Amino acid sequence: MTRPRPYGMAAEFDDAGALVRAVRKARAAGYRRFETYSPHPIEEIDQVMQHWDMIAPIGFVSALTGGVIGFYMQYFIAADVYPTNIGGRPLNSWQAFVVITFALTVLFGLIAVFGATVFFQGMPSLYHPLFKIPSFRRASSNGYFLCIESWDEQFQPIDTSRFLQSLYPINVWEVDYE
Amino acid sequence: MPIDEKERLQARIRRIGAGDVVLVRPGVTSESLTSHIAGVILQPNVPLFWLTMFGIGIIALCMFVIAVAILLDVGIGELGTNIPVGWAFPIANYVWWIEIAVGGSLLSSILHLTNQKWRNSINRIAEAVTLAGIMCASLYPVLHLGRAWIFYWTLPYPNTLTIQPNFRSPLIWDVFGIFTYAAASVLFWYLDMIPDLAAVRDRAENRIAYLIFGVLALGWQGSSKQWRMQEKGSLLLAGILTPLVFTVHTVVSFDFAIALVPGWHSTIFPPYFVDGAILAGISMVSMITIALRSAFSFENIITDQHLNNLGKIILTTSVFLFYIYCFDSFTNWYGGNPYEQYTDRFRVFGNYAWVFWTFVAFGIAAPQLLWWKRNRTDPRALFVISLLVVIGMWEERYMLMVVSLSHDFMPSAWANFAATAEDNALLYGSCGLFLAMVFLLVRLFPMVPLHSVRQLLPHAQNGGAIE
Repeated sequence: MTRPRPYGMAAEFDDAGALVRAVRKARAAGYRRFETYSPHPIEEIDQVMQHWDMIAPIGFVSALTGGVIGFYMQYFIAADVYPTNIGGRPLNSWQAFVVITFALTVLFGLIAVFGATVFFQGMPSLYHPLFKIPSFRRASSNGYFLCIESWDEQFQPIDTSRFLQSLYPINVWEVDYE
Repeated sequence: MPIDEKERLQARIRRIGAGDVVLVRPGVTSESLTSHIAGVILQPNVPLFWLTMFGIGIIALCMFVIAVAILLDVGIGELGTNIPVGWAFPIANYVWWIEIAVGGSLLSSILHLTNQKWRNSINRIAEAVTLAGIMCASLYPVLHLGRAWIFYWTLPYPNTLTIQPNFRSPLIWDVFGIFTYAAASVLFWYLDMIPDLAAVRDRAENRIAYLIFGVLALGWQGSSKQWRMQEKGSLLLAGILTPLVFTVHTVVSFDFAIALVPGWHSTIFPPYFVDGAILAGISMVSMITIALRSAFSFENIITDQHLNNLGKIILTTSVFLFYIYCFDSFTNWYGGNPYEQYTDRFRVFGNYAWVFWTFVAFGIAAPQLLWWKRNRTDPRALFVISLLVVIGMWEERYMLMVVSLSHDFMPSAWANFAATAEDNALLYGSCGLFLAMVFLLVRLFPMVPLHSVRQLLPHAQNGGAIE
């Protein structure tokens, strides 16, 4: 029986600079499917990695929906369900409806932005293969990790491991799924 | 320009931009920072200062619970509220607590968008002030309803009574405004905290703490993708929160400005309320920051520079408040409306003159001491001035309610207001709720945003780009 395919090969570095250099070299060596893990965002890595998301459009559409619902709710109640004569003003006194329309626009927008952000971050998912690495706990304080994932076209357990070793990491691990 | 050259130039600009401003003292590392902050949460023993403040908070909170029980049992006749003065303590307290909440939002939204790096270390403390402030504020309108248990009648929902709220009333605008604001504050606070919860999770040795923070951190790994989305999401939320900083108190000011009562019916109310809110809110943030800084020895990440900047905001807003008062009196004099002119005179020389002069002394004169840098960077001086401002701003809200309502158009309808023990118990009790909540929030959750402070550390600033 062959060994199951691993999740990837991970290497730990001791500072952000080493990680940035490693990412540039991995890129130059032709690797495309890799991910970095760091305790704070790193601008240089952000420029190299391509990430796609729809947070802003989702937030925008949701905010518009909130605005439409907000205005229509007030119009529907004030003009149709429960019409009241307040000093002879028109039932659709839209100027007075602006504030709640705005509040619901913002409310829908911010709930959607929060939801979309967490969704595109791949959360909540309480398990991740890298959590198996004993020193991965450092990734939230001072550990910098690079993981080349096994679905990269160039991924070969031995070659990739040798390549990561050539970057002078602290350590290199093979990461399994389970 | 070659890339290396460009990066070197950018790093140089960053260094010059930093100038002599010390936001993080030398010697702080990512490692020491994480253990310091996570240690506060994970250690079973707590500092005596924390216990004392939390204890005082809980005792006052007990008083609050008893006062609320009496209010619900007997009714709002227990309050000093009478017929011309229909809005007294509860609404003054409500406006005051919302003000205090707004200060924290200013730090997390506008100063975030304008990339003010000094906000990073005190952001979470300010947000704790915001959350606790909203909790206190939202209780008062409900308690003041009289029949608090049917407060949900203010919301539009299909019901067998077939009655619906009147959306032309500013009071119903307030319900939606405050609800949106509370939701925004909680979501922003939580989203920004996820990476720090993960840092606490990774430090936890206790199985239960590991599970709790593991679930709260939602499985954060710190991948470049997550950081990218995190920055984008929090920037968007800050953008959404920015108009809220202004609109929340604008909507509160509509409760007054749209009425015809002299002293209320004025177009300057929205900016005046927002400015007062920032003044009171930032003062409360300074007080809590100074207290926590000395209690948990955060002097190395909350430096004198932070206090200096907070002091500058307090000074600016107090000067602006003075301008608004002058302008308001000028409009009343020049407008020639005898009722408005009478309210102005009554405010300064009438029965409640001492409230006005306390406000002037505490809210406007005391902050002028902050023109001197020595006072801005001295924690004790700044603490005392902030305390005076917070008290002064309460007096100011009290003056706004009582002076205007007690002596309005018809002298035959005039009556004075006197606070009862119930009024005072509700006010001081809510301070207990606030204290207990703030100290609970900073004890249970990371009180300094680790990931944003890490970016201020020297090695992270270069990002290792310079080879």
